[in-house]
Amino acid sequence: MDPVLYGYMLYGVSLLTVGGMYAILALGLNVQWGFTGLFNAGIAGFFGIGAYTAAILTTNPHTSHIGGFQLPYIVAAIAAMLIAGIIAFLVGKVCLRLRSDYLAIATIGLAEIFRLIVNNETWATNGPRGISQIPRPFENLPEPINQFAFLGVVLVTLAGVYWLMEIARKSPWGRVMTAIRDNETSAKAAGKNVETFRMEGFVIGCMIMALAGALMAHYLKFVNPQTTDPLLATFIVFVMLVIGGSANNKGAILGAFLVWTLWSASEIVAPRLLEAIGMADAGIRSAYVRIFLIGLLLQIFLQKNPQGLLPETRPSSPGKNSS
Amino acid sequence: MKLVKQLAVTACAAAMFATAAHADSIKVGSAGGVTGPIAELVATIVKGRDLARDQINAEGGLLKGDKLEMVIGDSACDPKAAVDAVGKLVNVEQVVGIVGPSCSGATNASVQAVTIPAGVAVLSDSATAPSVTELKDNDTVFRVAPSDAYQGLAIAQLVNKAGIKKVAMTYSNDDYNAGIAKVFEEEFKKMGGEVTANQAHEPNKASYRSELQTLTAGGPEAIAIFAYYGSSGITIIKNSLENGLFGKFFAADGMFDQSVIDQIGADNLKGNISITQASSDTADASYQAFADAFKATGADPAAPYAAHGYDATFMMALAIEKAGSADRAKIKDALRAISDGKGEVVRPGEWAKAKKLIADGKDINYEGASGSADFDENGDVSGVFAVNVVGDDGKWAKELLK
Repeated sequence: MDPVLYGYMLYGVSLLTVGGMYAILALGLNVQWGFTGLFNAGIAGFFGIGAYTAAILTTNPHTSHIGGFQLPYIVAAIAAMLIAGIIAFLVGKVCLRLRSDYLAIATIGLAEIFRLIVNNETWATNGPRGISQIPRPFENLPEPINQFAFLGVVLVTLAGVYWLMEIARKSPWGRVMTAIRDNETSAKAAGKNVETFRMEGFVIGCMIMALAGALMAHYLKFVNPQTTDPLLATFIVFVMLVIGGSANNKGAILGAFLVWTLWSASEIVAPRLLEAIGMADAGIRSAYVRIFLIGLLLQIFLQKNPQGLLPETRPSSPGKNSS
Repeated sequence: MKLVKQLAVTACAAAMFATAAHADSIKVGSAGGVTGPIAELVATIVKGRDLARDQINAEGGLLKGDKLEMVIGDSACDPKAAVDAVGKLVNVEQVVGIVGPSCSGATNASVQAVTIPAGVAVLSDSATAPSVTELKDNDTVFRVAPSDAYQGLAIAQLVNKAGIKKVAMTYSNDDYNAGIAKVFEEEFKKMGGEVTANQAHEPNKASYRSELQTLTAGGPEAIAIFAYYGSSGITIIKNSLENGLFGKFFAADGMFDQSVIDQIGADNLKGNISITQASSDTADASYQAFADAFKATGADPAAPYAAHGYDATFMMALAIEKAGSADRAKIKDALRAISDGKGEVVRPGEWAKAKKLIADGKDINYEGASGSADFDENGDVSGVFAVNVVGDDGKWAKELLK
């Protein structure tokens, strides 16, 4: 195959792989923000818990961090979700009674605490130097089949999460969630235990985020505290969900792929744009211009389209003729 | 939306224009944390890389007059961003090799996830983590920044040169200091020295008397300390002197700080302590050649890793020239050939000379601004280290180790 075409194909594969992992993150956030109305600004923390759990459980023994368990990927992914779920439950016990903006502050703090722990507990995580040589599913297959195979793993996982979230959305449970989001008092008046439902939404969302983190650890083959930097692990996920359409699972997925492609591909376009208009140091400047341009595009988009690309559609109530 | 359309059209036009304009250029990736926590450092490192590119293009360019083009990829010091940026350099920009990325973490992730499978040579100018050495990289990952572990070797040579045969050692239980300590022990034993006792210590204890008491067994002539000055190093020296347990100290750069002299006293330490530190040989002809050219562009040659950025770019270009084509596999093999310590010496700025030597089929040996830049079997360089001793003015005095 022509090397240029081959290169673009591999780039496409990487766009879909990373986009798919972000789509899983966005689906996790959708349970919390989209359906339940919980403002979790600590996505990076739960993402990081998943990444570090998977890294420690699947790597070979190494002197610089705990581990060497060499567990199968699926076991590690389940463990990552369970640990994130337990931590989310404990945090939820304390924080979920807080009103939305206070919850945001508390969860930002939580993500920072997590980052500081992995940065300082060197015996377990190798501190700032991170955990290296994390295995990736199917990496021993020949190039480029292994990359397609890992993309398959991500897309199958995404499809599974989407399927479960759609069932949840259409179920009575999903309707209670949106009821709590839109009018907590009337949900209470209808006899629903609001606190339990909010806790369920929070824990499930965090577990899904940890699953995305576990996949990311295998994809990068390396994690360090920088991996949980909030720009590319918290804020971009909110942008994806809001652009795609909050409270719409298809929207969350669409937003994730779209925003990630825009983010990534803009690095190819931006320096050429600056060079074409004759700016000096186009390479370095474009890194900043690119972030500005993306911000500008998002502003324009959200002004014109506050509902997102795919607005929320309510499932038909039982009793009406369902589709 | 009209604006967006216009932007898109301009972008496409620009992309096509760019491809047409640079049809006779060879692309090398210039990856680094352009944005992110070390953006300021990286800006100067990139200037170092660009200086090499400008000199090369001014003196005939690559191969048959092709221009060397450095394509920036923003690794943002974040493994996620680095894998994406380096992936684009390899797959979309079709670079023949990569200089960078800057941070060890970003380097670690992007070589494992992208460049090793793709067989593209990576020459990092500022990743120093020892974990980069252990990667199974098919000989594609190189660096001109010395691994932190090389400091262990530098201290071992220092102790050996001081005529000390028996030494005790202690290290703070973190991976940086433990890593240097491990290398020190191995290398010192290889030189015929004896490590009488070796003990890890936990930082931030009020006293290390009992540890030091144990370490005196076997009659050591000195103690090697691998620790940070604030969390345990100063206390260890204090306890040693107060109790007359040790009088001669060797230490790694974690101990380098003026507060060590201030708190213990210059008189107590003078002639008795040596601290190693990674450095540049400012008297060397290669460094001078780079520094003069770099100063002329208005940049500071002493900026961290700027000289390394220059060397990495120059060496990548030499490898392309040596390979005789823009073939990724040949370039990775050629990287070893241009700096293996054998052949005619080429210094920074001497592109025309290097080009002629290669054309005549002669072996060349690049002696860089940051050091001799000869790769070992792992693709690492041993770097240049300096030793700090207490000077007459009660400050640290630096001297280069050779």
